[in-house]
Order: sequence, then structure tokens, then C-alpha cells
Amino acid sequence: MDLHKVGIKFLAEEGSTVELIEFIPVFHRWIQNGALDLLLIDAADYSHVHAGPGIVLVAHEGNFSVDETGHRRGLVYYSKHQLPGDMTNRLATVSKHALTACRMLEEDGVIKGRLSFPGNEIQIFANDRLQAPNTDETWAALEPSVKDFLTKLYDGSEYSIEKEPDPKERFQITVKTEKPVPVATLLERVST
Amino acid sequence: MTTWKAQLADRMPAALGEEIDVFESQIQLKHQGKVDDKLFAETRLRRGVYGQRYDNGQRHDGVEQRTLDFPSADKTKGPETMWDAPGMQRIKIPFGGMTPEQMDVLADLAEEYSDAISHVTTRQDIQLHYVHIDDTPDLMRRLAAVGITTREACGNSVRNVTACPIAGVCHEESFDVTPYARACMQFLLGHPDVQDFGRKFKVAFSGCKHNACGLTNMHDLGYIARVKETNGEIKRGFEMVVGGGLGAVPYDAKVFDEFVPEEEILPMAQAISRIFARHGEKRNRGRARIKFLVDKLGIDKFREMVLEERKVMPHDDAWTDYLKELPDYNEKPLKNAGSMNAGVSDAEFETWRATNVYRQKQDGYAVATVTLPMGDITSWQFRQLADIARRFVGDSVRTTVEQNIVLRWVSESDLPALYEELKRIDLHEPGAGTIVDVTACPGTDTCKLGIASSRGLASELRERLGSKYLNLDTAIKGLHIKISGCFNSCGQHHLADLGFYGVSRKVGGTTVPHFRVVLGGQWSENAGSYGLTIGAIPSKRVPDFIDQVTEKYLQERENNERFQSYIQRVGKKELKKLVDKLATVPPYDIDRSYYSDWRDPREFTVSDIGTGECAGEVVSMIDFDLQAAEREYFDAQLEFDDGAFQKADERAYKAMLQAAKGLVRLEFQDIKDDPNQIVNEFKKRFYDTGIFKDKYAGGKFAEYLFNRHEDTDRTFNRDNARHLIEETQLFIEAVHACNLKLQEQQAAVVNDIRKRPAATGA
Repeated sequence: MDLHKVGIKFLAEEGSTVELIEFIPVFHRWIQNGALDLLLIDAADYSHVHAGPGIVLVAHEGNFSVDETGHRRGLVYYSKHQLPGDMTNRLATVSKHALTACRMLEEDGVIKGRLSFPGNEIQIFANDRLQAPNTDETWAALEPSVKDFLTKLYDGSEYSIEKEPDPKERFQITVKTEKPVPVATLLERVST
Repeated sequence: MTTWKAQLADRMPAALGEEIDVFESQIQLKHQGKVDDKLFAETRLRRGVYGQRYDNGQRHDGVEQRTLDFPSADKTKGPETMWDAPGMQRIKIPFGGMTPEQMDVLADLAEEYSDAISHVTTRQDIQLHYVHIDDTPDLMRRLAAVGITTREACGNSVRNVTACPIAGVCHEESFDVTPYARACMQFLLGHPDVQDFGRKFKVAFSGCKHNACGLTNMHDLGYIARVKETNGEIKRGFEMVVGGGLGAVPYDAKVFDEFVPEEEILPMAQAISRIFARHGEKRNRGRARIKFLVDKLGIDKFREMVLEERKVMPHDDAWTDYLKELPDYNEKPLKNAGSMNAGVSDAEFETWRATNVYRQKQDGYAVATVTLPMGDITSWQFRQLADIARRFVGDSVRTTVEQNIVLRWVSESDLPALYEELKRIDLHEPGAGTIVDVTACPGTDTCKLGIASSRGLASELRERLGSKYLNLDTAIKGLHIKISGCFNSCGQHHLADLGFYGVSRKVGGTTVPHFRVVLGGQWSENAGSYGLTIGAIPSKRVPDFIDQVTEKYLQERENNERFQSYIQRVGKKELKKLVDKLATVPPYDIDRSYYSDWRDPREFTVSDIGTGECAGEVVSMIDFDLQAAEREYFDAQLEFDDGAFQKADERAYKAMLQAAKGLVRLEFQDIKDDPNQIVNEFKKRFYDTGIFKDKYAGGKFAEYLFNRHEDTDRTFNRDNARHLIEETQLFIEAVHACNLKLQEQQAAVVNDIRKRPAATGA
């Protein structure tokens, strides 16, 4: 499967007191400072839309967002162009970008202490209905790579996987582990 | 590897598939450097593939102007347009009609190629932003497979044909205009006679004269349904209007014919297209819309030319073929008619029903409006809404020019269940068509032309007004707010009770986002009349202005006086005081919030602040000249309101001269008050040198001055005075912009000198 448009969402701890629009200046600051190793273009405000992409940081390679789809806030990164390596590596690449952003948000001077990513709940999705429609066949093709990646991410700990059941939605799995794992630890694991 | 092209080959109409293949080939040729930039730009525009802000590879990040280093840095998709820069894809939705299947596809495309948001525009289109051009052929194929084309969604072509979203179910319509709008769209799409326009051409259909739905008065070509009885026989036809338009200077459409029989509407559209293509302006984009041609020729002459053309056109069966199918055209409801069960007393539901439900002329059915915040809907919501449509109404879904979606033919007994379903997907917001349902163009969020953040302001207003909506007076609830990011009027600010469009002002050496206030426009009567501008206020004071002007209205209105009547009675002189009261901008070091726009923390010209703070108190002569010009312009409006059209015209002209003089004085201190000298010096120093030219509008604003100056045998009448007043305001804005540009250039030179190493040996 030649899938490059993949993404990941790291769910935030519920009850965050940070308003969505507070992320707008944060993302603009990241652009000013060249804070991420990607070509950052602009920030888009969708805070007026309920349970949507929230605030988007548009980059050339992919988009970040403080996303509220499903009324669950989380940090999303998804790739828009070709990614290097095999599927496991591609998942590690998007996770690395997402986790870097999670860490920066957790440590941001304005946000710090009001938002955290426990790391024990993630969503992995394929943003390409041609290569990866939401079918059992797609899951069969992706499963080995996804599990390799999850073994790396969670260092062999147990996890559960739940598939998005609605065939109209894009292919997506939700992964849960019992215990939280710090963002820094997850980042270290996907970076090696 | 499978491709969308292969997968959808059997589902795309052959002609559409071939067109997209051709477009894909052109993309490949452009990749190889074999297509000229301008040609490719027009090619992609005609397929709805638009540019977007920062696509020249430059972006001011609040600190400095920075280059966006796109990977394909050497490739462009048009003049000064980087290949890799995200762009906008406009998707035509004729008369706003969508099926659930199409909604599903639109949602998927937004998710996979954009940012999971579909945006409904003020002309019933759908737009996707941040799209990469390499994705567009597949995006188009997926649309083609469900019967949607993006062809001629942009460029100098016939744009989306719009129509009243409640056509066929409206109590006041003469008849359902839907099949006529569809036939018109199909007839004009790709027609050889519409390929050589100097500018875009917009067509709208309305079922009646008095409601807003079709907005025919602001269209290049508008059709208003009419029936005529002759010898006991009822005949369908249309009042046809031509030459309306918003844009920088709004024009009212002129009545071409009060009754064009149905079999003649397509040939007349063709004849008009041929005259427009042949005689319309081509070189000067600023004067290329058909409104200028109609204005130049006069409606009588224009009509004469069109009717002559009509006589010599070869017959085309397509003119009337669709009429044979008309008797079969009938929108079938999915469910049986029903009535609301007594006892539904949910307060939230009733609030929603009061503003978002329209009872159809067919007993037992209603239209439910799904309020989209600023026209935005997420991909998940869109797919869910498609399923809701499948359950309640089938294919009877339309977008609206107020950036919402309507579900038609809802059995009234289903309304509570429908509301619950909309609530489940967070699309149950009440207030459709009220003051909280703010319309805004993309503005500085994504538009290359945006000056101020129309969407940022709209978000802020929605929140503030929404929080107190239930306590607002009924007269205030019914007002319309419409916001454009610049003078081009995509937000339709001319038609609003409270309209705003983005401008900028230099304060203490720093740029401050402002909005010009346009009051008293008429939304009803198919956009019956346009508001006139009062003055500019800082962006951050707009919410205060709305509070104060609506409060003033409530206190001072007589009986049940409507807002528009109140504005006319009180007059702009009185309202200007309100604007002036809010016009002051505190110094940067006192309140920095004024120096950035809503929902965008970047300071526009941080690099200038050092200079600006040092020179904060210095007011140059041009500031006084511009102030005088603004005053003269305002007086011109007052004269106009008093019906003194000649005086209004002369004052407007004087205002332009005053502003031009201000610029000239920057270089030539001893400029006299002689109009010839002012115009000649202005032309020599600022127009001929290209300094005054706007990046996108070119020299058209200067031409407003030249045209008026040369018009020594001028006819003084209402229309001419109104157009000149609008042009004057734009000219003054252009002088502001030119002054700003000159100051920035000067500051850059000073900074450059400062940065240079000290000369040795001095």
C-alpha cells in the first residue's frame, strides 16, 4: 500500500481551560521563530466551528491542529506529501512532528499547566480514500506496520485498538493504553 | 497503483473526464516549463483553481517580511505565484442545489485535500482552501463523478448561476425558477460566445421582485420570474435586468425588458454575451464588467445593440429544448406532509424554529435553514448532514447567499426530530438571517486582496451578539451585518444594514487595521439599494460602534421605523459624529491591541514601530490634505442625500483633487489649487511612474480622477453623482495606500542606510 497521507492525533487530557483562540498567537509565534523543522505557512482559525479542526497551523509538508473533532481535544498532525521510508517509518515521522508540537504546547509560557497530553490515547488515520478506504482490507494491509509502530511507541506495553466503524468516515483506529506515558518519553521512542 | 482516474472512469461524463485530462496535461506541461505563466494562470482560473494569500512566497510574520522557501521554488503557476503555495479551489454549485451524494464527496475532498472545512460562499459556491495544485485533477474527477464541474468557476467567464434557495416552495414567487437557472447554467457553460469576456459575468434568478433571495439587482444579468395573461392564456417569462454589480463601485442593474418570454431568455443571454464580448473593455480590468458598458452606452443603446444581435444569431435548438422537459420538472418530497404535534414546547427548539424554519406554500412542509458559522462546515458535519438529508428530504438541499444550507420539503411533523439530529452534529444554531448570522468574505485569512480581517471581525461579532441575542430588541435582531476584507465587496457590505469593509490607516507611523462603515443598504427587493459609506473606524472599535448605533436607533426611532428609514432620516452627518467619536487610535505604547487585527496577533508593521514611535507626533501635510479630502467627500454625500446631485458631484471631484494634491505636495511643495496643474502633476509624478498603481487594481483608481477631470461636458444626475462619490472614496483610499507605500519605502531606505557599515576614511 503506497500510503503517504497519514496522520495521528494525541488526545489531550479532558478539562483543559485553554480557550481555542489562545492557540492562535502560539502558532503565529512558532512561525515567527521557525520553531518546527517544517515550512510553516500560516495559522487558520476555525474556533467558530463546533467540534472541528479548531486552530490549524498550516505547513507545506502537513498540517498541525489543536483539533476538537468528536468533542475531544487533541493535537493532530497529518502529512500532505510524500514521506520517506516504509509505513512504520512514516507513522513514526508524523508522530514525531505531532509529539514535538505537544511538548512545545505543554511547555509554552502561556499554556503551561493548563494543557497536557497523557499519551495513552491516540488516533491514527489514513487521509486518502483511494489508497486506504475504511475497509477490513485496508486494516489487513496496514495492521503489521501499525503494530510495529505501536510496539515502538509503547515499548511493548499492552494496548487496545478500536476501528472507526462508519464506512463513510476515513480509515481510523483509536489506540488506548492503560497508563499515561509522558510526551518526552514517547518522543524519544519514535525518534530513535 | 490504482488511480482516481481509473477508478472513476465509468462514472464521469466523458466530456468532463476529457476536460480534466487536458487540464492535467497542462499541469504537466507547466511543470516542464512549456506554458507561459499568464496563460497557465487563466487556464487554472477557468477551472476554479485560485491563488491564495502568500502565494507569492512572501509573508509578513509580524516581525518582518519573510520568504517561504517552497521546495519547488523555481516553479510558478502564474505570475509571482509559487507552485507549491496552497491555493483555493472554488466549486460551482448551480443555484446552490446539492444531493446527499455530492455532499459526501465535497466533505471527503475538504478532508483529504484541504483542512476539513468546506466554505459556503456568498454566491452559493463551495470553496476549499489550502489546496495543492497537484491534487486538483483528482479532486475534479471525484466531483465530476457526482455531476459537479469546477469549469468556469473563476476567470473571465460566466460564474455560478445563482437562484433563490426557496424557489419552488416560496409563497410569493411567480413560479419555480430552478429549471430555468439550470438550463441557463448548462447553456452558457463552455459556450463559445462567453469565452472572450474582459471580465467575469454573474447571472442570478429570482422568483419574485420583493424578497432578497436572488439579489438580481447586483448581478450582471438578472432574471425575475413574471407571468402575463394574454387572451386568457397564462404565459411565463422574466423581467430581465442587466449591468448591476457590487465590486468597488456598486451599480444598480437596469431593466432591459419587463417581460421576456421563457423561450427567449437563453437567446437573450447569448446576445448579451456577444455584445459584452465584442464591446466590453478588455485592457482595463477595472472598467471591464458589463456594468461599465451598459453605463457607457446607456441602457437604450445597449438594448438596441442586443436586439439587433439577437436578430442575426443562428438558431440553436438548445434555446428551447429544456422547455419540453419543464412539465415533468417536479421536486418530489421524500416524506408525506405532516403537522407539528401539539405539545412540543422545548424552548430551544422554538427559538430555532422562529428564525430557521420557513413554512412552504405546500401545506405541511417547511424549509429548515442550517446556520453555518461564517459559511463553514466540517467534513464530519457535512457527511452527517448528508445522511440527515437522506432521512428527511432526499435531494432537496441548497446553499444560500447568506452562507447557510437549507433543507427543503421537510415534513412539518419531522421538525422536532430534525432539530434533534442537527443538535447532535452541532448545527442547530438559531438566528438564521438575523444580526448574529454575520456574512464575511475570506478577507486576510486567505484572500490575496484582503486588507483587514473580515472573518476575525465576524467571529468576534458573532460571539458578542450571540451571547446577548435573546435579549436583543426584535428590531435589532432582524438587522444584517456583512463584512468584506477590502473594497471589492465579496462580503456584500453594500447590501447590509450594517456593512463594513477593510481599509488601513497610518497612525503615528504604524499601520492600524480599520473598517469603513457602510450604513443603510437594502437586502430586500433583490438588493434594492446600496448603502453609502460614513467613515472609517479602527477594527477594534467596530463592536462598540454596532452597540452604539443600534442603541441610538432604539432610542431615536419613531414608532416602528425601520433601520434603513431611520438612517435616511437621521442622515449621515449625525451618524458621522458617532464614527468620529470612535475613530481615535491610542498611541502604540498605551494600547497595542489596536495595532493588530481580530484573531491575528501579528502587528502589521513591527519593523516600522521604531520609526513610528519616534515620529509619533509628527503629522505631515498630506495627513491634513487627506483629512480635508475626507471632509469634502463626506459633504458630497450630504449634498447627494439632499438631492443636490450637481453639488455632490462637484464636491466629490474636489475631494479627489484635494487628495491628489496631497500626494503631489510630497514632491512639489508649491502646487497650486488649479485642477489642471494638480491632475497633470499627479499624472506625471505618480501615475506615469507607476507609483500610484495598486498591485491588483492597477491604475483604475487614478483613472476615476482623470475621467472626471476630462468630463467637461458632464451630465449631472443621480446615477453619475452616486458613482463618482463611490469612486472618490476609493480614490482617497488609494491615496492613503500610496502614501503608506511611500512611507514604508522611505523607512526601508533609512534602515538600509543605518545597516550599512560606516564609511572608512571619512
